[in-house]
Amino acid sequence: MFCFQCEQTSRDGATAGCAGAKGVCGKDEVTADLQDLLVYELKGIGQYTHRLHKLGKPDAAADRFTLYALFTTLTNVNFNRARFTDMIAQAATIRDRVAKAYEVGAVAAGKVPAMLGAVAQYQPAGDLNGLLAQAPVASVRAGVETVGEDVIGLRALILYGLKGVAAYAHHAEVLGEEREEIYAGVAKALDFLAGNPTDIEALLGQALELGTLNYTVMETLDAANTGNFGTPTPTAVRITPVAGKCILVSGHDFGDLRAILEATKDQGINVYTHGEVLPAHAYPNLHAYPHLVGNYGSAWQNQQIEFAAFPGPIVMTSNCLIEPQPSYRNRIFTMGPVGWPGLRHLSHDDLGVLVQAAKATPGFAATAPEKQILIGFARDTVLGVAGTVVEAVKSGAVKHFFLIGGCDGAAPGRNYYTDFADNAPQDTVVLTLGCGKYRFNTHEFGTIGGLPRLLDVGQCNDTYSAIQIALALASAFNCGVNELPLTLVISWFEQKAAAVLLTLLALGVRNIRLGPSLPAFLTPNLLGVLVEKFGIQPVTEAKADIQAALTRAA
Amino acid sequence: MDVTIVTRDGVRLGVACAEGQTVLAAAEEAGLYLPSMCREGSCGMCGAHVTGGAYEMGACADGALPKGEGGVLLCRCLALSDLEVEVEVRDEQIGRHRVPERRAVIAELAPAGAGALAVTLQLEADDTHGAAADFVPGQFFEMRLPGTEVRRAYSLANLPNWDGRLEFIIRLVPGGRFSGWLGAEARVGQVLELRGPMGHFALDEASPRPRVLVAGGCGVAPILSLLRHMAEFGDATQVHLIYGANREAEFLPPEILAAVKAALPQLEVTHAVWRPEAGWSGFSGNAAEALSAVLAQGGTMPDIYVCGPPRMLDTVAAAALAAGVPERQFFAERVQS
Repeated sequence: MFCFQCEQTSRDGATAGCAGAKGVCGKDEVTADLQDLLVYELKGIGQYTHRLHKLGKPDAAADRFTLYALFTTLTNVNFNRARFTDMIAQAATIRDRVAKAYEVGAVAAGKVPAMLGAVAQYQPAGDLNGLLAQAPVASVRAGVETVGEDVIGLRALILYGLKGVAAYAHHAEVLGEEREEIYAGVAKALDFLAGNPTDIEALLGQALELGTLNYTVMETLDAANTGNFGTPTPTAVRITPVAGKCILVSGHDFGDLRAILEATKDQGINVYTHGEVLPAHAYPNLHAYPHLVGNYGSAWQNQQIEFAAFPGPIVMTSNCLIEPQPSYRNRIFTMGPVGWPGLRHLSHDDLGVLVQAAKATPGFAATAPEKQILIGFARDTVLGVAGTVVEAVKSGAVKHFFLIGGCDGAAPGRNYYTDFADNAPQDTVVLTLGCGKYRFNTHEFGTIGGLPRLLDVGQCNDTYSAIQIALALASAFNCGVNELPLTLVISWFEQKAAAVLLTLLALGVRNIRLGPSLPAFLTPNLLGVLVEKFGIQPVTEAKADIQAALTRAA
Repeated sequence: MDVTIVTRDGVRLGVACAEGQTVLAAAEEAGLYLPSMCREGSCGMCGAHVTGGAYEMGACADGALPKGEGGVLLCRCLALSDLEVEVEVRDEQIGRHRVPERRAVIAELAPAGAGALAVTLQLEADDTHGAAADFVPGQFFEMRLPGTEVRRAYSLANLPNWDGRLEFIIRLVPGGRFSGWLGAEARVGQVLELRGPMGHFALDEASPRPRVLVAGGCGVAPILSLLRHMAEFGDATQVHLIYGANREAEFLPPEILAAVKAALPQLEVTHAVWRPEAGWSGFSGNAAEALSAVLAQGGTMPDIYVCGPPRMLDTVAAAALAAGVPERQFFAERVQS
């Protein structure tokens, strides 16, 4: 096993990364190796689907499988090795199909089909031991002794960015939004990686191209969410329990939430959001369900305590799943790309068992005093008051905007984000998105110029919305995003954040504060490039960083 | 005194231990519920090894003390200095909550091979736990003999479920307090008080190795639960069941295993009869001998899960050790008699 895709990866050894029997996330070496092999196969599939897209003969099922399979390998998504051995076999079948289709398509187009190399030809072994013996070829560090650390790091940046792209695109796809250019872009990136690229400029170019692709992907996801559920509006969300039977929905997937709300209609069961499902309350078509009663708990890293205390079944619709404790193992279910050995997996048409579980578990005995938080400040809401915002800046009432966004995590260094939000001066506005907000979203921020000082834009998946706000402000002030009185303070944890970072870089956004630690796969040389070209800065100490941001803006 | 509890997976948990307080009680005061049952030095469930520090062991039953240097029973172990204690469970298997106390109605009593009874209980719903039968396959419940303080622990044979059904296979021990009552006086509709689930006999699902499950007599109950769990989740791990009995008549009705096998196609089964009668075509000998025969076939050293009476556990452990199965791949649960 070798994995360094997330922020919490082990930094104990000479080479930063998880390389023991189990990663920090709880992924064991068998599962990690199988994930590597699956990704290796997806590169082979990408070699063919890339060519099929160019021939105008895409294979939609292969494209969708690619997104889903990449998503399963994200941090804290799927830990079920049985699922990976199945997908490895499935991928080989799909690869054979697209290989055949490419051959036929190329000949039909009057071309000689290209002979593709070892990645495309890979034949997975028939049993687990055989697969594990094959795994070294698929390691993210394969070939490091000849190509060097910088190349490995850039390939990893592209692969992890691609995983993020796939996760967002999958969320959009299951809500019915698909675009040919997304599938073509994913296939192109996989084909690029399959060629074991070594040219630093070409690698950087592909990384930024992926950032541009991710902008389209996030726009598509935004269209999927608003198209299905309406435009988010400012909404007060209850964060204390209501007496009665209950279900908790965690992860990110609003489509799964809707299916659960439908299945539990008029059954006397209350549904609560957890973690990144919180923004659901702001969408009119989800808010309309009277039994979507509130938000429970906080960010993903606290789930073992929060789930143990929740008196009903729990559904994990995407990351971040951590090892379920025995006290709730029988009542936590997985959906979509998520998996853990011994947990029951649900699809939209078999939610009866979830209803049964909700009825058989105790539920909340009492209604707690009501407490609320305010959410739903997505692009339309904020842009709807753009005039007020612009006026507030011009009059000097608002001096600066801080976007404190991204993932939460267990590392003690993440207190930085709490300190940052709490210490941002009263004449500044804090925009937030992602689950990092749970560190401060119940704190008192007050109002400024008629607006709440804390504006919750939504999920990490809603970065598109935040970018639209920034672009609209830039347009209102007739300047570039980098000239705005705006500082991005990003906390990253998993690979969707890598995709978002590439998007911000592709858009030319400079001077991002990135933490709590920098990606382990970025070598000092690569960090040097990011600092030089994009002004990326590691986080230091909250008060000092606030001061530095305000000084630069002044 | 400060006691450091080191779990099987290397997690270190610190608890403060007062003078005269057992390590088990100190851990519970700190909110850590380690596996335990009798709490009087006889069942052996709270066995552990002290790896550093001075301690005093109170009276305990012969054979209950874990083998090896520093072997203790935490329910009888007093710290005389700061201690470091290695326990057999993984961190996640340590309960962070008190063991639930439930009530259940006897729903069904049926013969389950010679000298054994299949007992089905229906849990009563309560405000704290609801109606669900929530346990990990391999775990047990403790039942109280009505009107007495006599308690006996029995492993579940079914799977966790939302209907509140608990299924047991219980050997009718001649002269046994609980099983004697069960065989002679228990009736459908009677209410029993239960504590559970408890126990840490569970599949290591992360292991890539094949599995050999060894059941002795009514020790087949948790083994059935493990097999049913594998079947329910489509676990394709290679698995071999060795089912041992003194006499052929003691085996469960064949349709029970046939149903498991239908849902778990890779399952191989060896029936081992210690005292076969004329016409027995299966393996003749005890479960340990059958295991030796299976292990002698070579291949990857499997994980071994065994449940049965104490003497059977010893012989099976010896057979596994002789074949070179590492200790960490050996999981045992004792049938209480």
